[in-house]
Amino acid sequence: MRSQSIYKVPQGKLLKISVEYDEKNNVIMNIRITGDFFAYPEEAIELMETKLRNVLMEREQLLEKIRSIITEYHIQFIGVNAEGLTQGILMCKP
Amino acid sequence: MKEQWRLLQTGFNTAFSNMAVDRAILVVNSEGKVPPTVRFYGWIPSAISIGYFQSLADEVDIRACERLGVDYVRRITGGGAVFHEKELTYSIVIPESHPEIPKNIMKSYGRICGAVQKGLHHLGIESEYVPINDIVTGGRKISGNAQTRKLETVLQHGTVLMDVDVDKMFSLLKVPNEKIKDKLITDVKQRVTSVRHLLGKDVRFEEVAGAMKIGFEEEFHVELIEGKLSKEELALAKKFEKECFSAKDWNHRR
Repeated sequence: MRSQSIYKVPQGKLLKISVEYDEKNNVIMNIRITGDFFAYPEEAIELMETKLRNVLMEREQLLEKIRSIITEYHIQFIGVNAEGLTQGILMCKP
Repeated sequence: MKEQWRLLQTGFNTAFSNMAVDRAILVVNSEGKVPPTVRFYGWIPSAISIGYFQSLADEVDIRACERLGVDYVRRITGGGAVFHEKELTYSIVIPESHPEIPKNIMKSYGRICGAVQKGLHHLGIESEYVPINDIVTGGRKISGNAQTRKLETVLQHGTVLMDVDVDKMFSLLKVPNEKIKDKLITDVKQRVTSVRHLLGKDVRFEEVAGAMKIGFEEEFHVELIEGKLSKEELALAKKFEKECFSAKDWNHRR
């Protein structure tokens, strides 16, 4: 199933996420994170999209995975954060 | 003696060339071959630039752009879609290690926006920096800014709105919800302003550039010496223009 969300991060930017996910297993197959936020380095967003494949569409798992990617690759987000990304992804679920 | 930085006045160019030149300066500066550089420029034809992370198809009405002869380009910096028409655009390229540039990204936005604010002051406009990346006057936006850091070098570019046509802007940008488009346009009209609106007269590009030059000199305690792009920068800019900024692969990549 393919789904999109638009989420204004509190005190942050507008996040537009599109997710292709396996409904039966509740996992992300493909994800595209777009919006008017900032990330350093910028290329980290593609990495984030790749690393989120096969992750369960549940708050705890998403938050933990996103936080670990941010730490491991020294990503600095401005206008969005791990909570915002998680919320945007979960909003893709009906 | 004050430190001397380079000032580039590259005039009006296409979106593809403009973005290519900023990136070329960043690369050549990172190799220590050119000094910290402040550049002022404009856009012909008018153009939309989108942030690195934005989806072109989601943000830009490509057909409308083609109909109205407006170019579109993806920036290497994050942030939002901007309609570049009657404005001065600045860019600054400087090593991350320069003592005048805070290591903290948000603080460095504030510092560079400080230069723009001082420039506005010289035009008779008082303003404030509103994080993350706006400069506002009387609660209305007059400047948007975006920064990237690559190769241990800072590139920040931003706009100073000289005049603004919100209706034209929205004929080129897509909105998430067409039903509330009219309300959105009304809201944006109340949230943006321009040098022309604030001063009640047309101000020439050169006058705004002159004020911004003083603003950057004051903020960073330097002297800006007018210079030219080096041969290497020009060659690199040509390459980036062709291979990146005017390429479909790049502009449609998200």
